[in-house]
Amino acid sequence: MTHNVIPASFKPESKTERRFEMCLDSGYKTAGMTESVDGWQLFGPLSTPTFNCTRSFMEVNETAPGCVIVIRNPATLPSPIERRILLPMVTKKTLFSWVLQCCRGLQALLLVMILFTVFLRVFPLEMQKRIINVAIQSRNLHALLTYCGLYIFAVVMAGVLKYVINVLQGYIGQKIVYEMRDRLYAHILTLPLSFFRRTPPGMVISSLTSELSGPGDFLGSALAAPTINVLTLVTFAGYMVYLNPLLAVLSFAIYPLEILIIPVLQNRYNRLNQERINITRTMSNAIGEAIAGMHEIHGNASYHIETEKLDRSSAMLFSLRHRMNKSKFLIKFVNNFFQSLGPFILFLVGGYLSIRGELDLGALVAFLSAYEKLYDPWKELMDYYQDLQDSRVRYYQVMSYFDSAPEFAIEPADGRAPYQFRGEIAITDLAFVIDGEVRLLDQISLAVKPGEQLAMVGLSGSGKSTLAMVMGQLYCYTQGHVLLDGMELKSLSKRDVSHNIGYVAQHPFIFDGTILDNVLYACKSLQHAGEGSERQLPTREEILQVIDEVGLTEDVLRMGLNMVLEEGRQAELAQKLVVVRQRFRQRWAGELARVVEFFDINQFLFYTDISENITFGSPTRPEYEPAKLAGNKLFREFLDEKDLTTLLFNLGVEIAVQTVSLLEDLQDDQFFFELSPIPRDEFDAYSAIVGKINQAGVGRLSKKETEAVLRLALRFSPAQHKMATLPVELQRRIIAARRDFAEKLRARDPGAFSFYHPDHYLYTHSVLENILFGHPRADQSRAVEEIQDRVVDLLRAEKVFDEVMEAGLGFAVGSMGDRLSGGQKQKIAIARVFLKKPTILILDEATASLDNRSQARIQELINSRWKGKATLVAVVHRLELVKDYDQIVVLKAGKIVEMGRYQELLEQKGIFYELTHGR
Amino acid sequence: MSSPTEDDATCSSSKRDERCELEENLDVLRRITVFAEVPLPRLKLYAYLCKRTCFEPGEFIFRQGTADDRGYIILRGTAQVVREYQDHSIFLNELHEGEFFGGVALLSDIKRLFSVKAVTRVECLTLDRESFRKLLVQFPEVGVKVLDVMIKRITFLEEQLMQKHAHDCVYH
Repeated sequence: MTHNVIPASFKPESKTERRFEMCLDSGYKTAGMTESVDGWQLFGPLSTPTFNCTRSFMEVNETAPGCVIVIRNPATLPSPIERRILLPMVTKKTLFSWVLQCCRGLQALLLVMILFTVFLRVFPLEMQKRIINVAIQSRNLHALLTYCGLYIFAVVMAGVLKYVINVLQGYIGQKIVYEMRDRLYAHILTLPLSFFRRTPPGMVISSLTSELSGPGDFLGSALAAPTINVLTLVTFAGYMVYLNPLLAVLSFAIYPLEILIIPVLQNRYNRLNQERINITRTMSNAIGEAIAGMHEIHGNASYHIETEKLDRSSAMLFSLRHRMNKSKFLIKFVNNFFQSLGPFILFLVGGYLSIRGELDLGALVAFLSAYEKLYDPWKELMDYYQDLQDSRVRYYQVMSYFDSAPEFAIEPADGRAPYQFRGEIAITDLAFVIDGEVRLLDQISLAVKPGEQLAMVGLSGSGKSTLAMVMGQLYCYTQGHVLLDGMELKSLSKRDVSHNIGYVAQHPFIFDGTILDNVLYACKSLQHAGEGSERQLPTREEILQVIDEVGLTEDVLRMGLNMVLEEGRQAELAQKLVVVRQRFRQRWAGELARVVEFFDINQFLFYTDISENITFGSPTRPEYEPAKLAGNKLFREFLDEKDLTTLLFNLGVEIAVQTVSLLEDLQDDQFFFELSPIPRDEFDAYSAIVGKINQAGVGRLSKKETEAVLRLALRFSPAQHKMATLPVELQRRIIAARRDFAEKLRARDPGAFSFYHPDHYLYTHSVLENILFGHPRADQSRAVEEIQDRVVDLLRAEKVFDEVMEAGLGFAVGSMGDRLSGGQKQKIAIARVFLKKPTILILDEATASLDNRSQARIQELINSRWKGKATLVAVVHRLELVKDYDQIVVLKAGKIVEMGRYQELLEQKGIFYELTHGR
Repeated sequence: MSSPTEDDATCSSSKRDERCELEENLDVLRRITVFAEVPLPRLKLYAYLCKRTCFEPGEFIFRQGTADDRGYIILRGTAQVVREYQDHSIFLNELHEGEFFGGVALLSDIKRLFSVKAVTRVECLTLDRESFRKLLVQFPEVGVKVLDVMIKRITFLEEQLMQKHAHDCVYH
């Protein structure tokens, strides 16, 4: 039998050998030795025999934890799965290892170009010398032109090459960042839950987004920068020695001094900087604390105490910054001094030599030029050094933060297909200890046969959720055994577990996306398995059936009826719905008038927004879309003609002022914006406009702001938005203007709008509104429900029901599912797991947020559909539901205190009896 | 034409007697004891989240035994409170304009203890549990005030019950 390997830590020892430690539990056994192929050999510690591995899987001898295993030549690792396990964790990689691993071809190209650039930097110097010596002094015009030409050529070519080098460096740097980010994120996702409990999300986010980009950019030039600069320096130095050795030696004498002094000063500055960061943090904390406790401060009138606190930090900061400034400018001064010292020496000694005739003028000029040009590479080297320090610190800080090993293997070690279990669970002497001492679970032993149902009950804090999470492989237990079909749970990979176990958490997480995305989440991740999984996604029928089983049909249907269809993609459904509309009118037309506001051209539509009341049609071209109407020239012309502009503008102002004052502090919650004409993401903009109106009056608004106000008025829907009324005058004028709008558009821009017609689908309205060809009156809610029932019957009769449900599944649930109620979220989580059809179901109070009827319904469902087919482990709060379970386990303070069937436990008159009788 | 007023928390309109629904709702809420101590800007939010429903004569506003999730205030009309039994029903009370009933459903998922039937055409202002809870989360001090009054009401009922049938009442 093979076991999975838990990823190891990595210590690179040499180029030919890789050593790493295996984090093994002592319970691993081997099946035997196999031959070695391709230079693979495993060496254990001295006390255990060596063993080899084949291309396809690795077997591990019984070893002590922490033994050292050496693999030669891991580049021959055959499959991606193995490579993933045996390669070092990303957090152990050194900073420079990234440079060597990425884009090697490009880096080689870079080096070649650097060599050329260096040559091209020196070449102009020689040209300078010759221009003066040969061309000018010998009055050779031809030579002058040649040398000048060569000079400019070299300079331009150097520039071009530099451009290419910079672009390449940037590219390589970004590629490295790309890979770093991917690998680090993949690693972070596998870290144990305990890591995430103690880590603020902001830390992870900033590490991945901003902290890594610095080191990454640095790494792009990590090879190129020092190479080019060192080579340049060396070449220039060589050239200067060639011109005049004495001068060269003199000018270089300065640099060692600089190399000694400047880093000392720099270190001082760095230390002060670090201290500054700490003090700034202390200061922010002090201020934050004061604000949080402002009522205490006011109550005790302790203003002087608080100002003193800040003063201490401020004073320290002041002194620090002053010292930092002194250091910084001292460095600059030293640098500049040395820089000017050089030319001074050159002029002195070089001039003397020239006067004595030992040095020609051209050489002196070239020398000076070379000397000046030394400054840039030198500075770049210094900057590089700084960057290196900074990147090192940042990189290792980020990596050390995430340097934990995952608790469980992610993939099966040898690329085998995931295990298929029957569903037998056996727990012996399980203990889960955290922080060394706290025993969350102790001496847990139980057994569940395949297809049985186990209930776990107990008071809050008794450990039932913890036990459920241990069984779902979300926590790693400390002692004892959890065996799934006889296999130790700790040794199974996540892939094995997810194939067989469906876990519903107490507070399930719903991802941003559609209902369909969320419900298929588990199935989609199973699909990704690799070999051995032929699972296909569930069909629409299967999905709708499960939706019905968990009790979401009504909700999804309602969402479907409220969906606005997309013109291109759902045209077929739209056509069918027009047919439904006609049937509906045939049967129910008479009774509808009280309950539905029809799209009648002679009536004002209170349930529709003003822009549609005016246009009475839907736009076919983007420039007429509701969001853009306020800026559309033709439309504005029309508004002015019909004297509507001022009325609309005033209405818009009214709405803006009222809504902004109403919803000012509530921007965090999408819920409050459902009835608001201002969408959440535009709130700040309108808030600013209202501020401006309050201060300067309406006359001072800019063109864009006026447009925004008009847009708001156009979005106003009198029956839905309560914060303003529609002036009767405006209402009258709009009805009068309607037909004129149609005419104007037919004349000036035909085909821009498709005007409402009983035979056309209205893409600006929801499915239900299309079927009714009107809007249900919200204040007749009882009657509206009846109408909806009739609509649903008709949909079923016309066989369009499933399509509408499918549209409903496309409902966007919002970030973290915040457009759904708690009960809906739980039902979706349950549906997600049901669609996976796992052999073992673990439900942790999965129905707690549902009303009693739904809870009973789901329990019913589990009994009828899953009993005998899947093993169920449920943490249950409401004890009436556990009557039919095969086994009930009562937990208290992490231990099992009672176990048995419902009737037995009641007769015992122990803790279970007390719990059922509500004590 | 009208101009917006800033300091007053009410909205204006082109004619003085035409008020927006928000303001009307606000007026109604102000007169209910349950919301009496809520500061005006916060009460506006309650008014904002309320919805209006109409019932025909004879229609049930809610029925005994069903789960319901909203509280009601009568804007116009009269309704009757009845307790239904298998073969007959007892008339308990009559509700008029301005009365607030059904508030317990704002607090939790409960089944109605009695039915309320519209006698004339009734228009109600309703607030549902989710809105109430969202507001509770946003402004806990306000929510606590509302809860205070409602719990006093419930305790009052319990007191009356205890006086008459103490030995029949058991907690679960």
